[in-house]
Amino acid sequence: MITSGLIQALLWGIASGCVYILLATGLNIIFGVMKLVNFAHGQLLMIGAYIAFTVTSALGLNAYIAILVAMGAVALIGVGLERFTFRKVLGTDKLNEIFISLGLIYVFENAAVLLWGNTPQQIPSPLKGTQLYIGQIAIGYDRLLAILIVGVILFALFLLLKKTKIGLAMRATSQKSSASMLMGVNIEKVYIFTFALGAALAGAAGALYGMIFPFDPSIGALPTIKAFAIIIIGGLGSIPGAVIGGLLYGIAENLAVYLLGGIWQDAIAFALLIIVLVIRPTGIFGERGE
Amino acid sequence: MQKKLVIALIAVIVIITAVVASWQLTQLPSSEARPIKIGLVACYEKAEGQDMDRAAKLAVKEINDAGGVYVRDWHTKVPIELVIVDTQDDTPSKSVGPVTRAIIEDEVDLLIGGYTSAGTLANQVVAIEHRVPYIITGASTSLVTRRGPQGNYGGLPDGDTRRIEDAEGMSYMFHYCTTTADYSKTVVKFFAEEMKPLLDSKYGFDSSRKLRLAILYRDDAFGKGVAADTKALIQSYNLPIEIVAERSYPTTATSFQTDLTAVKDASPDAVYVVDFIANTAEIIKEGQRDVGLNTVYIAVECCEDPAFYTLLGPYGHEQLLESKFAPYAGPPYYLASIENYVKKYQETYGTLPGMMGADTYDAFYIAKDAIERAGTLDKAAIRDALESCALDQILIITETGKIEFSTGTNYHEIAPVTFVEQLIWNADVNECRSVIVYPATAPGVGKLKQADFVLPTAYAPGSP
Amino acid sequence: MAIKKAFANSFSLVKSEVADFYRSQKLYPVIITLIIAAIMPFFVSSYVISEVLTPMIIFAIYASSWNLLASSGQGSLGHAAFLGIGGFTSALLTIKLGLPSIASLFLGSLISAAIGVLIGLACVRLKAWFLAMVTFGFSVIIVTIFSEFDEFTGAIMGFRTPLIVERGIPFYYTALVFSAISIFIIYLIMKSKLGLAFRAIHQNELEAKMIGINTAKYRLIAFVISTFFAGLAGGLYAQSIQYIQNFIFAPYYSFLPLMMSVIGGLGTIEGPIVGSVIIRVIDSYLPSLDSALDGLLHPLFPSVSHVGPPLRMLGLGVFFIVIVIFAPKGVSPLIKKAYNYLRSSPKEKKHDER
Repeated sequence: MITSGLIQALLWGIASGCVYILLATGLNIIFGVMKLVNFAHGQLLMIGAYIAFTVTSALGLNAYIAILVAMGAVALIGVGLERFTFRKVLGTDKLNEIFISLGLIYVFENAAVLLWGNTPQQIPSPLKGTQLYIGQIAIGYDRLLAILIVGVILFALFLLLKKTKIGLAMRATSQKSSASMLMGVNIEKVYIFTFALGAALAGAAGALYGMIFPFDPSIGALPTIKAFAIIIIGGLGSIPGAVIGGLLYGIAENLAVYLLGGIWQDAIAFALLIIVLVIRPTGIFGERGE
Repeated sequence: MQKKLVIALIAVIVIITAVVASWQLTQLPSSEARPIKIGLVACYEKAEGQDMDRAAKLAVKEINDAGGVYVRDWHTKVPIELVIVDTQDDTPSKSVGPVTRAIIEDEVDLLIGGYTSAGTLANQVVAIEHRVPYIITGASTSLVTRRGPQGNYGGLPDGDTRRIEDAEGMSYMFHYCTTTADYSKTVVKFFAEEMKPLLDSKYGFDSSRKLRLAILYRDDAFGKGVAADTKALIQSYNLPIEIVAERSYPTTATSFQTDLTAVKDASPDAVYVVDFIANTAEIIKEGQRDVGLNTVYIAVECCEDPAFYTLLGPYGHEQLLESKFAPYAGPPYYLASIENYVKKYQETYGTLPGMMGADTYDAFYIAKDAIERAGTLDKAAIRDALESCALDQILIITETGKIEFSTGTNYHEIAPVTFVEQLIWNADVNECRSVIVYPATAPGVGKLKQADFVLPTAYAPGSP
Repeated sequence: MAIKKAFANSFSLVKSEVADFYRSQKLYPVIITLIIAAIMPFFVSSYVISEVLTPMIIFAIYASSWNLLASSGQGSLGHAAFLGIGGFTSALLTIKLGLPSIASLFLGSLISAAIGVLIGLACVRLKAWFLAMVTFGFSVIIVTIFSEFDEFTGAIMGFRTPLIVERGIPFYYTALVFSAISIFIIYLIMKSKLGLAFRAIHQNELEAKMIGINTAKYRLIAFVISTFFAGLAGGLYAQSIQYIQNFIFAPYYSFLPLMMSVIGGLGTIEGPIVGSVIIRVIDSYLPSLDSALDGLLHPLFPSVSHVGPPLRMLGLGVFFIVIVIFAPKGVSPLIKKAYNYLRSSPKEKKHDER
């Protein structure tokens, strides 16, 4: 029984899925190249949202320009993180990366509370409130624009990875870091750039998220889990996998909420994750499995 | 003969004087007199906890400025010393410690406060064990006074995991707050008595048509409790209301569009939103702005707070709020004591008071009255005095016009009157302000209703 | 026959381990700690006993259980699930089935270990990050499960837990005994061949496999033992605050044993204990600075009315990262150094004189 509500939920699923895609792709790139997993990635999204919020409310910038500002700022933060925390433990016990991520979660969340407070905010989007009506179905213009922007960013990313020198270096490093080192690739530079890129994508995801949903310092945790679920479903290290996984995830989440009730919103990420990990540990597009 | 008479007279006068003088001497202020320590159990991380703190300090200052509380045993007035018991985030593990410290190390005479149901159920155990009177001004669950052994005063049956066997200890618990049944009672009656006739006449519905109600609630004890109470009350009062949608979402949710779409599909006449300030405001906004669910929304009383009005903005216009304390519905206020309180609070703190502070403020006066009638700081005597409280209502209106703790099945609860307000956009302050639309009257107040309920301009009823 | 032999083997093993321990240097600090713990109640108020010391001791068990699991390379981010399972099952068994509290405490731990087997099976072949995600995910899902069956579990509103012994001093000593025995058992395991296998797997799983260690089996064993003790800690903790509710599954309780172990000293036996003491002291006494901090720092942070908690958490996060980067062995080596210095001072002096 296809009701208009169902289609509406589906369309929203695509829109929120796009935000998750950006986040998951950033995480994927960092993992692919550096073999590093950052559980605090969602907090970068949260910081991106707050930075975009600050520049729009304090400086009156247009929300869409704020996306670029957020990307740049979070990229810088990413560089700092890579240099001062993750680099120190890269190569040591794998558990250390997990520990650093956890510490960073505490740091980012509470720094955000101190700087901006706990009350939920939203980034005022110039298109807020306007809808495109297809019959009974309403979809906000801001969501459609978000889907478009994500598409643009992904396309730019594709060009970067396939056509530029640094992209080549990244792809080489992701396949065999020792071999690429021998070929003269400056691993350190690649790592810094990769982390910055991943962070920038998270920042963009945050700025878009902040336009669609209200946010507060604690919203970083769930998107991280969803990003992981997407990466695992799509296959760790596979970018097309993340795209399809993200869309599927967004749709599944919204449909589950619509059909089963809101309480499934969070649990569904884990349920999917566990199911996929048990059935097919390498993910749907499984490239590099575990 | 006369000489003897004179001597006898003088003797009598001397004896009477001596007796009177010695009696007077015993009435001097006792050297044992000390300030009364009252612990305020509040969650300082939340705005409501800060509101309780401000209200408490206001009450204590008023009482102390007037000399304090008269303790008959000591023949003097003593001041109240406020002991802050900060339960941090009010989860059971964090709230038990501070209350334990207050009782054992600070040696409080009385406790006032409580915020969440789970946190209060956990931290009251210490007060029960140590027989410390606890006027609970938070916690919407009636279990806080009704979890003792079953008797003719409420209580739980055998085998219920939540039961506490200590009936004597339970007698020290007093609940000065509305329970979830109190909110829902007014809400459903409002829908049946005020809204349904309006709908029937405006849209030409048959009188046998039931009002279509949707409930959207947060998935925790609070939300579930209200949803369950609402359904139970509709049944027991036999009201012409039909629940067409009942949806819950996790407490961590920040966006509700999908749930609202599902509610829209069910075509309701009204939506009952059960959540706290931030989420309720978001639901009311998203419903109108993003989903096109143009119905009337009613929020629960914990949203009666300045932050709610600010967050709602113009989307609050013509929406409803169930409440028990309405600092925004005036001036002129329905009760003189509210006028004074709001004015003083604003002068002292520069902001309007919220709902939890009102309960707390009253509780301090209830404590003062109990101590004065008990005449001593003996906790058992204070408990007895609380049980026989008959103060006039202060900020919260009651069904009898007096503050009385029941000794029947609603053990140690009061019978508050809750009402429904409608929010009206006020361009002068750039926010909504409220007017009371139901019920028409209340004891001790007289006329309560300030305006008639109107359907929102963009309102569309459910179908059929 | 084989079982008898295995029993005999392990018994003599334990005997030799205990004898080793007896002769080792480690005995003295342990005896001193136990003596201090035993006489503490006479010097502090009952509030400190029940709200500071007892949770400290119980969390030492919890942190040690996590530490054991981490020593096999499995850094669980969802240990709170087992803390909660232990807490709920032990309380429910007593209330619903009328079992004596101590029996339900053990049964609760066994049930926790049984569920640990299930989750462990899912996790044995997973790399560190996946395991972290799955364990965290489990702790989230378990909340939903417990809430769904609320009529049976009472998880949403929570309920009062029955006690083994009276609250206060009797319970303190009971917890102390449980803690000492549990940590000693964990110590024996870590020192044994089992512990060696765990560490080998942690160091380099591939190499361990090549030597012939069945990594999956040992990882599962680590999981089961760890979740048993986590369940035990859960049962005791629920009794110490006399309440159990869904709060116990919160991520905070999953991160707690991790923080304690890392700050105290990951992989060591004293690390989790030291970490538990440090964090408990922070949690109990720093909040009293909150009102002072509010007054001092509010002008700096206008958007937040209550500066204390986020500042404290921020400080903890920074401190934690600093430890991981600069002092990966935690705080206990520093304490060890101090202890050794005090102990060997006269000898060193003599040595220097020569």
